[in-house]
Amino acid sequence: MRCIKCRKPANVEVRRHRSAFCAGCYPGWFRDQVDRVVTHDRMFKRDQRVLVAISGGKDSLALWHALLKLGYQADGMYIRLGIADYSRRSQAKSEAFAALHGLTLHQVDLEGDEGFKVPDLADQRGGKPCASCGTVKRYHFNKLAADLGYPVVATGHNLDDEAATLFGNVVHWQTDYLGRQGPVLESTHPKLVRKVKPLYRLAERDTAAYAVIERIDYILEECPMAKGAKSLEYKDLLNRLEESQPGAKHRFLVGFLKEGRKAVKGAEPVVLRECASCGQPTTAEVCAYCRMVERGKRKAAGKAERYART
Amino acid sequence: MTVAELMKRLGLHSDAYLVVRDEEILTRDVRLKAEDAVDVIPVISGGTPPQPSPEGRG
Repeated sequence: MRCIKCRKPANVEVRRHRSAFCAGCYPGWFRDQVDRVVTHDRMFKRDQRVLVAISGGKDSLALWHALLKLGYQADGMYIRLGIADYSRRSQAKSEAFAALHGLTLHQVDLEGDEGFKVPDLADQRGGKPCASCGTVKRYHFNKLAADLGYPVVATGHNLDDEAATLFGNVVHWQTDYLGRQGPVLESTHPKLVRKVKPLYRLAERDTAAYAVIERIDYILEECPMAKGAKSLEYKDLLNRLEESQPGAKHRFLVGFLKEGRKAVKGAEPVVLRECASCGQPTTAEVCAYCRMVERGKRKAAGKAERYART
Repeated sequence: MTVAELMKRLGLHSDAYLVVRDEEILTRDVRLKAEDAVDVIPVISGGTPPQPSPEGRG
């Protein structure tokens, strides 16, 4: 297989585009895809400061790296989730990347600042804390961006993430979620910062290849709490389809964004107000995050009490 | 054996892994030698990614 740009032996094949690139040409193609999406979907401009949500994984670090190479002003934000060694290692990778490139990395320490860790959010029947972890991330990325005056937060959600989310929302007919799924989530409240996903047209394999070729040191291991998560099952199903029908994930997601989303646009517009407890935007009296924090604190306190008795 | 045949033999989806030899990513048509050592790197990550909630917090 040959690079479609320079005809040297290829390293990365992008089957859905019937293309392949050598290690020398691939990073330029990847960054061009990111830049096109940022411009086409009017995500942000070069004179705007962007806050990138950093996890220490390939997607967020590849996004941060690509935006900087493209000349965007991008700072990072990392949340210490308290998932034992995994969090310590991902924090170290994020800090090392920021130090290597001389970048600003804001941090929130969940245990120190809020008194609980993500593992405290798993339900009593041993369920996954992934959905609660998502609430934690959304809340803090938004709050920090709003507090520090960033006009936009960028996340590393890729084509596989978005296709898996869409698949899950269709399987369960979550019309509220379907109506809001998209690469740009506009601000609908003064305290709600715009969210954008510049990697939504790039596959998980594309971002991993970019990270390997650019020698980005990311955390390779999977979050231990995500083992058995439904989203991973959906990704596996979609990859099986992709194997026999290259481009299926792309057609599923982009087709939905172009055509399918219109069909669920009839969802009631959401009216936001400020949470009675923390002042952040919500539809309820007390926001989902504050309700969850209370549950997490109670659980952490219960554990400490049981430990003290033994 | 090619990279594609190796992946098939291992029962792995080509979209979920990168095959790397001597720090170079290999395309599926590359023929491997018996003495080659390769890394098969998983690329799939994540539990439920942060998404817009019904409460409207994006």
